[in-house]
Amino acid sequence: MARIELRNVVKRYGSFTGVRRMDLDIADEEFLVLLGPSGCGKTTTMRMIAGLEEPSEGEVVIGGEVVNEVDARDRDVAMVFQGYALYPNMSIYENIRFPLRMRGIGKSDQDALIRRAAEMVELGDFLDRKPGALSGGQRQRAALARAVVRQPQVFLMDEPLSNLDAKLRSSMRVQIKHLQRQLRITTVYVTHDQIEAMTLADRIVIMEKGVIRQIGTPDEIYSDPADTFVAGFIGAPPMNLVEGKAENGRFTAPGLVAACPPDISGRITLGVRPEDCRVVTDGPAELAGAVYGVEPTGETTYLTLRTGETLFEVKAARDARFDLGAPVKICFDPERIYFFDTETGVRLRAQPQRSAA
Amino acid sequence: MAVLDQTGGVARAAPDRARPREKALRRRSSALRRAFPYLLVAPAVIYLLGITLYPGAYAIYQSFYLVRFTEWIPVGFDNYVELWSDSEFWQALLNTLIIGGIALALECVIAMALAFFAYRDALIRVWRIVFLMPMLFMPSAVAFVWKLAFNDGRVISDLLRKIGLIDGNLDFLGNVWLARSTLIVADLWQWTPFLFIIFVAALQSQDQEVEEAARLDGASWPAIFWNVSLPMIRPVIAVAVVLRGIDITTMFTNVFILTKGTPGGTTETISYFIYRQGFQTFNFGYASAAAVVMLVVTILAAQLVVKRAFRSGKA
Ligand SMILES: Nc1ncnc2c1ncn2[C@@H]1O[C@H](COP(=O)(O)OP(=O)(O)O)[C@@H](O)[C@H]1O
Ligand SMILES: [Mg+2]
Repeated sequence: MARIELRNVVKRYGSFTGVRRMDLDIADEEFLVLLGPSGCGKTTTMRMIAGLEEPSEGEVVIGGEVVNEVDARDRDVAMVFQGYALYPNMSIYENIRFPLRMRGIGKSDQDALIRRAAEMVELGDFLDRKPGALSGGQRQRAALARAVVRQPQVFLMDEPLSNLDAKLRSSMRVQIKHLQRQLRITTVYVTHDQIEAMTLADRIVIMEKGVIRQIGTPDEIYSDPADTFVAGFIGAPPMNLVEGKAENGRFTAPGLVAACPPDISGRITLGVRPEDCRVVTDGPAELAGAVYGVEPTGETTYLTLRTGETLFEVKAARDARFDLGAPVKICFDPERIYFFDTETGVRLRAQPQRSAA
Repeated sequence: MAVLDQTGGVARAAPDRARPREKALRRRSSALRRAFPYLLVAPAVIYLLGITLYPGAYAIYQSFYLVRFTEWIPVGFDNYVELWSDSEFWQALLNTLIIGGIALALECVIAMALAFFAYRDALIRVWRIVFLMPMLFMPSAVAFVWKLAFNDGRVISDLLRKIGLIDGNLDFLGNVWLARSTLIVADLWQWTPFLFIIFVAALQSQDQEVEEAARLDGASWPAIFWNVSLPMIRPVIAVAVVLRGIDITTMFTNVFILTKGTPGGTTETISYFIYRQGFQTFNFGYASAAAVVMLVVTILAAQLVVKRAFRSGKA
């Protein structure tokens, strides 16, 4: 129910800059995910939107209003904290009621709202319990219920699933996304988990060391990475990045020869995802190496090759089995080879090599 | 598992190969090693037992005797029976409850109010040191200063007259409530900081995310304090109040120096009553009985408060 803008926002802690020059425009009802490694400034950014942290420079705008001077409690922003931050002395019912009580919502209206919020996260049977008597996943849902109960303008979530086990995490992911679509509340979600980001986001903001590296839809981030950082961060297992040289339309590295756009030359890094590689028995191939490791996951088999100094990962057939040290040849999907400037990490797009993928 | 078994086997095999004398040596040194921690804490334990358990047991023993200097006459529960009907004892108990209760309540409220304003303050380190200072003075020295201010030097009386609150001189020893309030004020000044420092520490160590959550839920600072912070630090409050309460129940120094129980025994606390019975009338058995009663009452009260606070803090 609100558009959020960050205009030139900077956050400094003494001489250390946590967030530098952040420009961000989050559309109404959008689900935006801030993704990046630990310490890159995601939480700081979110806390500045919430009003728990004051930007050193720049403006935070919510719903068209500059809110720098607006106190956190008046911003109509709800947040789910990483540690849930439930009130330990109150029952779940009281926890969910607290924001209603603090905002002076009439007693008669409270009960229906609380029960509806609890139903949404399937917590109706636990309203009498104290947070200490709930499991991690239930606490998580209680925190969600407390956040949604008053229909805030903005929904902020700081790594809400990071304390849950893998199975619960994937089911909570679906619930959160469903909830956000249902309530149509602008949401900013922080995570360092790229799967979470890919599955939840309308758009992903990838950050590193306080700087935005790329903003885009999950698809754009995956298939059109702006630099080696984004390329290496997204995808599991991540994109293979091989340093080499490009000359006259040929990229070469130890054990690897690939065609490249003729106008690219110099010290170049080639990137190709494991899933865009194919094991071939004969015929022309870009890469030759020896089997270093085989990892069957059930759904597929990941093959690690050694070529020269580097390890290279390839997604192979589900039932593929290889002997360690066996020579293997790999073909790349020509549509899905990326080239980066080795020095700066920036993506080099010589020609519109990517037609419709 | 295999690895574990192997190492275990090796360790077990080693002593068998050693010669008997070495074995004995090793056994003795391992006994020493086991005793070593106890030896380390022994001095402290002996000291503590010496100054608490021994006198305590001695007092209980003595309370069943009529003690006339060197002559001990066993009287069974006579001392306790006499206490039960001793109006001075009941008066002292009541005085202790009134003076201690008011002082403790005021100290809690003031310390908590100050802690509320101070714990998020940037200058909190300074505040802590400033507030620590009254506790660093020797209680008897402070008592003499209060004596000067209230009674002998009439400082407070003069000040009140100067600002026009009173006409004549106030005789702080001549009025029940004035005399009691001198004791309360003196205790307040010296011991509110104790609670303040504990409360600030408790407030600072609570989970900050929870306060922030309350902030975003729309709560004002007072509302957060009342609904979230206070309940969370409740066990700490209980422990601090019990400690202070025990201390206040044994209030003696200020009574001894400032009022000596006047007027008419209305400021005589239990400790002063015990002192008077023991060291002025040399009725040691009777004094011991009063001390034992106080001990039991204090332990029961403390247990009650702590248990309640911790129980409702959980689940
Ligand atoms: N209160 C603070 N004082 C000093 N440095 C801080 C403070 N809060 C965060 N930082 C620093 O700012 C950087 C970004 O922190 P944060 O936003 O929490 O990262 P993330 O959430 O992406 O892991 C980190 O390097 C962190 O050490
Ligand atoms: Mg963080």
